[in-house]
Amino acid sequence: MTAFEAVRPPLPKKPFNPTPVWLSGWLALLWVIIVDLDLSFETLMYGAEDIVEYFSRYSTPDFADLSRYVELLGQTLATAVWGSALAFVGAVLLAPLAARNLTPNATVYRIARETLNFMRAMPDLLLALIFVAALGLGPLPGALALGIHTAGFLGKFFSESLERVDGGVYEAVSATGASRLQVVMYAGWPSILREALGYTLYIFDRNVRMAAVLGLVGAGGIGLALHDTLRMFNYNESAALIIVILVTILIIDYLSTWLRGKLN
Amino acid sequence: MSSSRLCWPTPNGLPAPGPSAILAACVLLLVISASSVELDLVRLFNAIPRMLEFGGHLLVMPDWEYLPTLGVNMLQTIEMTFLATSIALIISLPLGVLAAANASPHPMVFHVTRNLLTLMRALPELVWALVFVSAVGLGPLPGIMALSFVTVGFMGKFFAESIEVIDLRQVEGVAAHGAGWLQLRTFAFFPQAFPDFVGTVMYILDHNLRAAAILGLVGAGGIGYDLVMAMRMFDYDRLLPIALSIYVVVTALDRLSDRFRRRLI
Amino acid sequence: MSKIIIRDVAKRYANGFEALKGVSAEIPAGSFTVILGPSGAGKSTLLRTINGLETPTSGSVQIGEHPVTHASLREVRSQVGMVFQHFNLVDRLSVMTNVLTGRLSHRSWLGSLLYLFQRCDMDIAHDALIRVGLTDKAWNRADKLSGGQQQRVGIARALAQQPRVILADEPVASLDPVTSEEIMGLLREICTRDGITIVVNLHQVEWAKRFADRVIGLNAGVVVYDGAASSLDRATLSRIYNRNGDQVDEQLETMLAYA
Repeated sequence: MTAFEAVRPPLPKKPFNPTPVWLSGWLALLWVIIVDLDLSFETLMYGAEDIVEYFSRYSTPDFADLSRYVELLGQTLATAVWGSALAFVGAVLLAPLAARNLTPNATVYRIARETLNFMRAMPDLLLALIFVAALGLGPLPGALALGIHTAGFLGKFFSESLERVDGGVYEAVSATGASRLQVVMYAGWPSILREALGYTLYIFDRNVRMAAVLGLVGAGGIGLALHDTLRMFNYNESAALIIVILVTILIIDYLSTWLRGKLN
Repeated sequence: MSSSRLCWPTPNGLPAPGPSAILAACVLLLVISASSVELDLVRLFNAIPRMLEFGGHLLVMPDWEYLPTLGVNMLQTIEMTFLATSIALIISLPLGVLAAANASPHPMVFHVTRNLLTLMRALPELVWALVFVSAVGLGPLPGIMALSFVTVGFMGKFFAESIEVIDLRQVEGVAAHGAGWLQLRTFAFFPQAFPDFVGTVMYILDHNLRAAAILGLVGAGGIGYDLVMAMRMFDYDRLLPIALSIYVVVTALDRLSDRFRRRLI
Repeated sequence: MSKIIIRDVAKRYANGFEALKGVSAEIPAGSFTVILGPSGAGKSTLLRTINGLETPTSGSVQIGEHPVTHASLREVRSQVGMVFQHFNLVDRLSVMTNVLTGRLSHRSWLGSLLYLFQRCDMDIAHDALIRVGLTDKAWNRADKLSGGQQQRVGIARALAQQPRVILADEPVASLDPVTSEEIMGLLREICTRDGITIVVNLHQVEWAKRFADRVIGLNAGVVVYDGAASSLDRATLSRIYNRNGDQVDEQLETMLAYA
């Protein structure tokens, strides 16, 4: 044995690995939540049999009222279309103000940012409730609610994209004596058009799902029909409605993914 | 010198065909759906005084006695979000592997899992919540079930997409030393996809908090129930506190997840 | 007219760094001036104070009769064209549209919102493209062009403004030697033919000697030389490129060998 083998140079001290701590903390938290919410695995197990039986009630969908469903579906889609259009307009107006490299001053930036945050934070359902109270039942309050809520998302996406554009491009157009609006129109939007359209399609996709649901609070469309049939324990018609909603969402999903693929 | 004939910056002076077509299609869509959405500017205009009146109603002293209940219900909403997202995370990790073209054991498994995930996320959470409330009764349980179910659909898809864009050469490196199927996925696939996973989880947490806030509408737990009841019973002194607490919690999570994401990546 | 007067301009950044320490110069109308100096000397900062992209902490800049102030910024900029090292074109727009952005200061906000231009704007842009020799690429997307072509679009954009002054911030730093010579030649020709005052930032001494009437040598924010390009000799170049008091600098020797 050589002198070297007898004395190995020691390894540096192993850095503290926090992963086990995080992991156990997480599991502990889950346990606390389960206790606090009074969830019992037993109810779920006992309920399992009931659940299976329950889902079997949906096995014979009744499409007798299909024409009415399709009409309601049209209303839902219209709500999504107008809601998304409204969101787009709102986002286009606010996003340049909420982009650090395009905003005129810090105050406007803060206000625009907070407005977008507020619009995002307010659940569209709450907005729909308010608009139904003001405008009465129907798809229009739903469209407004969707428009305002998703304008917050779209505005945030747009402003982040605008911030990622190379500052030099903005500078160059600015250096020709162009106004701020012109810089936004000629250096901002053209640079992010592809991304922006992609985001818009994504939001439209999301709005179709939400529009189906807003009917539950009276904002028109197919959600209302589903709420009624479920309340009357009319499982066959509920099954038919769910299938109609499902198929529509799948089609829109597929179309929007295809379109986004073409954009890239 | 100044000729005022206006034109577009294209060879023939007319607007470019691509953007014009898109614009025309959108306008057409809007026009067709205008009647279905019952677009009525008069109605909108007449509703403005009612909106303002409503706004005025909101600005009253909050119902102080209700605030503790509000706190408890908000907490319930947060707990539902966290629990449902965690459950979905545990289920989505293996499903994500199965649904990734480069990590799935068999093309049949890949296709079945992918389609399953698509179906799981097709219907909005509220629809599932309605169904589960009908099945297991009121309370947070159906809400958590609905939320987990739909979240697995999204998370599984995002995870699978993150796995599909990893560098296969790193996998080859580990495989060359005789790693088994599961070892390969744990030590070569997962570490690469991890930053994307974290981003996905943060994004989904954000989304789920907003979703959980409205599940109460159908009795599936959380603050949604309070919200709808306050509207129906015209309890204006509760509305603003509820709305504000939702705003505060959602914004707090937003900022937290931004900071968390920056630290981890 | 298009004379540039720089009076005692100083620029101090928030972190305390003094990029310019009291620079004064008078650039005669219609001249071709090159600003030389090592990296960090303040060349870019000085150039950008002329069209207001940088605001001096003290001192003033005047172009003709117009002082460069916050209020007069747009008016000044419409008369001052700028060419950038990285071209700074809007990638997704066509070459023609990029050149037309030079006309934006003359367009109404409503018209420009809709991407509408007047016939005469189109003609001016067309002339600019003829000048830089890129008419056949007019409808191509800007990012599909080579580096040299993109820089020529940048120059066309500046020309479309019908400016009194053109500023060029390291216009050839991203280009190969042959293309660089073409671009410098183009700028020189524009100066001579149209009488536009041209100020160029360079770090290649050889271009300065070949194309400039005048050279301003900048080192550590201070003017160390201001005179004819023909009078540039080893001594003055040593002064300009002298760093931290080093008297012997290997890179300096190489650079001087080209001079």
